Amino acid sequence: MTIRSENRILATPLVLFLLLMLGFPTVVDIVYSLSQVSFETLRAPSFNGGMNFVAVMKDDEFWSALLFSLRFGVTTALAECLLGLFLAVHLAPLIRRNSWIIAVIIMPMIIAPAMMGLMYRLVLHEFVGSLPYYFYLWLGDSPAFLSRDNVFWTVFAIETLQWTPFAFLLFHMAYEAVPGDLREAAAVDGTTPWRLFRHIELPLMAPTIAVALFVRFIDGFRVFDNIFVLTGAGPGGSTTSLSIYIYMSFFRSGEIGKALAASVILFIVAFGLLALGGRYLRRVRA
Amino acid sequence: MNRFLSDLPRWIVFGIAAFVLNFPVLSTLATSFKTNAEISRSPGLWVSAPTLEHYRAVLEVSERLNVFGYLANSVQASLIGSILPIVLCFPIAYAIARRGYGAALMFPMVVNLRAMPLIIFAIPIYMMYQTAGLLDSSLGLGLVLTVVNLPLALLLLVNAVNEVPYELDEASRMDGAGVGAILFRVILPICRPAFATVFIFSFITAWNEFLFGLMLTTTEAVPMTVGASFFFSSGGGGVQWGVAAAVIVVAALPPVALGVLMYKHISRSMITGSVKG
Repeated sequence: MTIRSENRILATPLVLFLLLMLGFPTVVDIVYSLSQVSFETLRAPSFNGGMNFVAVMKDDEFWSALLFSLRFGVTTALAECLLGLFLAVHLAPLIRRNSWIIAVIIMPMIIAPAMMGLMYRLVLHEFVGSLPYYFYLWLGDSPAFLSRDNVFWTVFAIETLQWTPFAFLLFHMAYEAVPGDLREAAAVDGTTPWRLFRHIELPLMAPTIAVALFVRFIDGFRVFDNIFVLTGAGPGGSTTSLSIYIYMSFFRSGEIGKALAASVILFIVAFGLLALGGRYLRRVRA
Repeated sequence: MNRFLSDLPRWIVFGIAAFVLNFPVLSTLATSFKTNAEISRSPGLWVSAPTLEHYRAVLEVSERLNVFGYLANSVQASLIGSILPIVLCFPIAYAIARRGYGAALMFPMVVNLRAMPLIIFAIPIYMMYQTAGLLDSSLGLGLVLTVVNLPLALLLLVNAVNEVPYELDEASRMDGAGVGAILFRVILPICRPAFATVFIFSFITAWNEFLFGLMLTTTEAVPMTVGASFFFSSGGGGVQWGVAAAVIVVAALPPVALGVLMYKHISRSMITGSVKG
């Protein structure tokens, strides 16, 4: 057997699987997004040009979902990375002697986002929730966490608290990877801890920070589980992310063509971001 | 003592962070052990008269809710979704690591899937499953969970094969071993720890998945995450908060138990998955 055919055989299982589970769906995405289709005519889509895309572009809910996802992705990524950076650097001396600290801090990451969302259904509940209870007890009043005015910052806080550990973990490793002799040299020169951080540690951690911001942005941008179980996209659709928009268009209103057109748009946006991000990261590393 | 005093501010910061980050977990745990009367009287973290009645209620099978069924479905789908990625990725990981075959296109493509919003494939998969009769089946859900876990599996397995000394391949090739024999008799035994890491991490990810469980199952193959959410839609007479809290604890327990046992490995693989991605 030649090396070439051996290689092909080694690659075959994964390639076949990908063609079936992702290749075929991609074709369906493209064909059906350009077609007139409903649950009744699922097997016989008829080409209707770009009508679905026009419908999506004209849909205010699509634009507000896109805006929500962008805003959510950017704000949560920034907050998670700032908090994570602070914790990783500030707690580093403790962690060196007590590595179990890591396990306590990363606990939220191991819990399903959907379960986290359900927990907050309970925690934020007006009558049986512990958070409003303590607000009433200590401050005499409690904000309506899930009202239209507050709901964005509530889901922002929930996402941030669950995924700050992720940024923390990345930064902890990057911080520990800073060569010890650099720190010693700085100590000999009598550098303050802040200057050490600002001029030596932070620049060395910069590539990791870029990666963390990117990954957290992507995950925030495509958010579904925790928001869906907590608010069900409400109140009044104000927490509809792009993923929820696609889900709702398909399952709730049966607008298959529109849902698929939105999927294709999301595909293109995600692909573009990935290409840009990849190029940027390669430049940062070089 | 001196060190403790100088560390005290940091311990306080750690205490606050640990408390705030884990607050919903603590609060849910507390609620799950309270009597109904206490839940409505004092919703705080303190439990004055712990009870197991809600856990008993969770485990009671009714026509509408069946926790054992959800758990069994999650186990099945998660097992498929954590073993199949290894089976699919191990051979090609060898080709990528040793021969650079697939390193230019296949490898980055699969690894970048980590950053793709998988909902873009959800609707076509739904339609495909409808035709294939895979809707509402653990096999169907497991296949999708496999897709979710491919990026990390491929990345970790390529790294693992890279770490096997090349001389071992050479030596067995001298002895006349073919690629199959090298793969299964030489590489596989050495990569066993990597297999374990991929398996456990994939299992946790699969167990925690929600979106596809919600879309692709209705009654027969409902996984635990989706089943838990059923407890929050009141079947007449409002949500029973104690039972709802207990069901979350039950649903979250398997991944947390695995995670606590394996947290060092897991933290490393989570990071690998994102840095290279």
